[in-house]
Amino acid sequence: MAMNNDIILEFRNVTKRFPGVVALSDASFQIRRGEIHGICGENGAGKSTLMKILSGVYPHGTYEGHVIYNGEELKLRASSIHEAAERGIAIVYQELTLIPTMTVGENVFLGREPVEFGVINRDKLYADTRAILSKYQMDVSPLEIVKNLGVGKMQMVEIAKALSENAKVLILDEPTSALSKAEVEKLMGILRGLKEHGVTCIYISHKLEEFFQITDSITVLRDGKMITTQPTSELNLEKLVSTMVGREMKERFPKGKRSPGRVIFEVENLHALDPNDSEREVLKGVSFDLREGEILGIAGLMGSGRTELVMTIFGEYGKITSGKIRLNGREIKIKSSHEAMLHGISLVPEDRKQHGLVLIQSILRNISLANLDQFAHWFRIDDSAELKASLSFAKSLAIKAPDLHAPADSLSGGNQQKVVISKWLMSKPKVLIMDDPTRGVDVGAKFEIYKLMNDLSESGISIIMISSELEEVVGMSDRIMVMCEDKSNGTFDVSEATQERIMALATGISAG
Amino acid sequence: MSVTSTSPTTNPLSDFAKRLRANFQTYALIVATVIIWVGFSVWSGGTYLGAQNFSNIFRQMTITALLSVGMVLVIVTGHIDLSVGKLAGFVSVVVAYMQATYWPKVLPGHELLTTILSVLIGLAVGALYGVFQGYVIAHLRVPAFIVTLGSFWILNGAILLRTAGKTIPANQPFLSVIAQGYLSPLVGWIVAIFVVGLLFITMFISRRRKVKYGFDLPPIYQDLTRTAFFAALVVAYVFYVNQYNGIQIPVLLLAVIAVAVAYISNNTRFGRYAYAIGGNREATRLSGVNIRGNIFMVFVLMGFLCGVSGVTLASYVGYGTIAAGTGYELDAIAACILGGTSTLGGIGTIPGAMIGGLIMASLTTGLQIMNVAPAWQYVLKGLVLVLAVYVDVYFKKNR
Repeated sequence: MAMNNDIILEFRNVTKRFPGVVALSDASFQIRRGEIHGICGENGAGKSTLMKILSGVYPHGTYEGHVIYNGEELKLRASSIHEAAERGIAIVYQELTLIPTMTVGENVFLGREPVEFGVINRDKLYADTRAILSKYQMDVSPLEIVKNLGVGKMQMVEIAKALSENAKVLILDEPTSALSKAEVEKLMGILRGLKEHGVTCIYISHKLEEFFQITDSITVLRDGKMITTQPTSELNLEKLVSTMVGREMKERFPKGKRSPGRVIFEVENLHALDPNDSEREVLKGVSFDLREGEILGIAGLMGSGRTELVMTIFGEYGKITSGKIRLNGREIKIKSSHEAMLHGISLVPEDRKQHGLVLIQSILRNISLANLDQFAHWFRIDDSAELKASLSFAKSLAIKAPDLHAPADSLSGGNQQKVVISKWLMSKPKVLIMDDPTRGVDVGAKFEIYKLMNDLSESGISIIMISSELEEVVGMSDRIMVMCEDKSNGTFDVSEATQERIMALATGISAG
Repeated sequence: MSVTSTSPTTNPLSDFAKRLRANFQTYALIVATVIIWVGFSVWSGGTYLGAQNFSNIFRQMTITALLSVGMVLVIVTGHIDLSVGKLAGFVSVVVAYMQATYWPKVLPGHELLTTILSVLIGLAVGALYGVFQGYVIAHLRVPAFIVTLGSFWILNGAILLRTAGKTIPANQPFLSVIAQGYLSPLVGWIVAIFVVGLLFITMFISRRRKVKYGFDLPPIYQDLTRTAFFAALVVAYVFYVNQYNGIQIPVLLLAVIAVAVAYISNNTRFGRYAYAIGGNREATRLSGVNIRGNIFMVFVLMGFLCGVSGVTLASYVGYGTIAAGTGYELDAIAACILGGTSTLGGIGTIPGAMIGGLIMASLTTGLQIMNVAPAWQYVLKGLVLVLAVYVDVYFKKNR
């Protein structure tokens, strides 16, 4: 192990504020040259903020404190998104950024193609690519078209691309979330090779056991604060989990007074295939039930199949191969969102901009979109009735907007989410599925959404809530179902839940 | 109508300024039309805005404007239709064939009946072709660009087959009325009074509905001023065209269809879904909307409007020719774009496209009157289109 005490990157009292929320508060820690440094924390702990500072998305001056890189302050300008890469800091993002129709070599040198008299020198391009690939034992052909590669190899190409730009610090954001076990092993091998060549890696992951396989030291973030940085050898899994979540529950979650009734919705051993790739199973046995007026939390890591599960139930994703869905004891088959709505099932989707809203349209049009049948007499839509009903939802959810004719994209994340929720409440659901309803929502709006969920469940609506935040799951749910690797891995009452137990089930350390 | 309790002090002037900014594009178009009219009037020493030419500008825009009405919805859903010109052309040839060759053999002597049948067959051909295209695009999922490009050739072939390279006369009196007829001044005034009455009745109905649902009413003078403005436009238009031959029947037809489709696009689920699909297809699908059915219907409507346009074309030209409808699809698309329809989908209005079409027709007519060589007419038309969109892009960026 190339261990020297030279510090390549240091955060000194870095604070990043947004209106109403502090994303990173007074974070200080150091990363040694040539080490693999793990960063862990729940969603919203501040990991992505750190990364955005390093990549220049939040340029110098938009945060407080200092980032010291190679002994001098890192001052990235707002104007250049490529500056960080030129200085040797490269990020391999969760969602890969390759161009699928081009070859590996063309991707690696995209924008920096070797040129002779204005013509790309392909021989040099492929030779250089081959040199990088073989130096780090990446077993990919430079001539292969990227879309023919698996996710694991695409990631190698992404890493090769960063290395071809002479990256000194490589940041890997959830690199294993879409990889198979064998691919993870291969990636670990490559990372060890990088270390031998003196490249520093920052390794961000939700899968805690990986930290112990690969990292030299670990920094834990929680609620935007740096909790600890320790050599990996001084930590173990239990210690890590308790540092990650260890904190008392504050008054962040309003208490509801619910009394869940009989079971109204059941899913039994559901298996489903990817609609675009019938080789790939996206659900490998999920079972749970839902009672009237209950909030059922679904916990699980990113990529554990949570979203795939609810989209499949909603009739808009997987091809169900076996298993049953029952509503009020009767088996139902849902083939589209329209049918789901007719059964009284609504879904607040995870990605509000892609799946929840028509951003260029007004708040009014967004709220009524799924519910125009209610206002249509023959052919005509009664726009006064539409406005009145939409206004009453906007009022009861306290949507902050000048008026309902303002376009949805002019709203903040929290208010956008309220618009999506209004839309689905207007459809009068019996079962309301909420996929990460507070993602990207500020603290105040979160509390309002929680209160609303309590009110809804008290009025008899059953809620399925997916959440990436353990605290939220424990704070809001009556019962919790944990997913791990596309399967349900245990359901239990919230009184028996600890964050450690959920984390253990979600990472597959224990089985339910 | 503020959602939060804090309602800003309503200053009518700033309110007006706000609305002006919001509808900048519409006003810019109207201003552009006026500038073009005034400019050509000065240049031509007054003949350009004489009653006869004024009347002709509107009459000339009808055939492509009928296509634009449907094209707005096609583009709004994120598609394109390159076949509309040829489909209208094919319909015109079919109608001409029916009129000149088929009916005289099968049903001689029933001029009115056979003309009505010809028109109905023309409309049916358009709508049926729309059904075919809509099915291939929406259900077989072949991109509209490709399907309609294919149709362009298919229909071109069909036109050649039907005409066999000859020109078919379609100048029978009853048919000619459609595109060449005028309402007598008296009937024109009756229409004007009817429309003005309708405008005010609609205004009061809308106010009463607002009261029923407990909304604050805008001050009555505001509604009255606006309605009176539109009423005045109608009266002025009728007065002026009455100086020539009277209200042009094809323009009346276009107005009825444009108002009807504009109403459909704003006030029915079909129309609302079309805009939502263009704005965000996935979000709309997840809202339980039958996307394919909606896109299918948009193309059926487009086909039907090609039928209307084709019938009008046959009547207008008085012939079915091998060149019928050539290039109309591009004029129709340009009118939509000029009128503010976004090629990215989700945005666009029928009134906007109508003004866009009017601008194109005004330019063409003006240049013709001034004896500008056809070559330069094309060059100018192209420049105006690109410039207009650039101005729009510029102001959107700098607002």
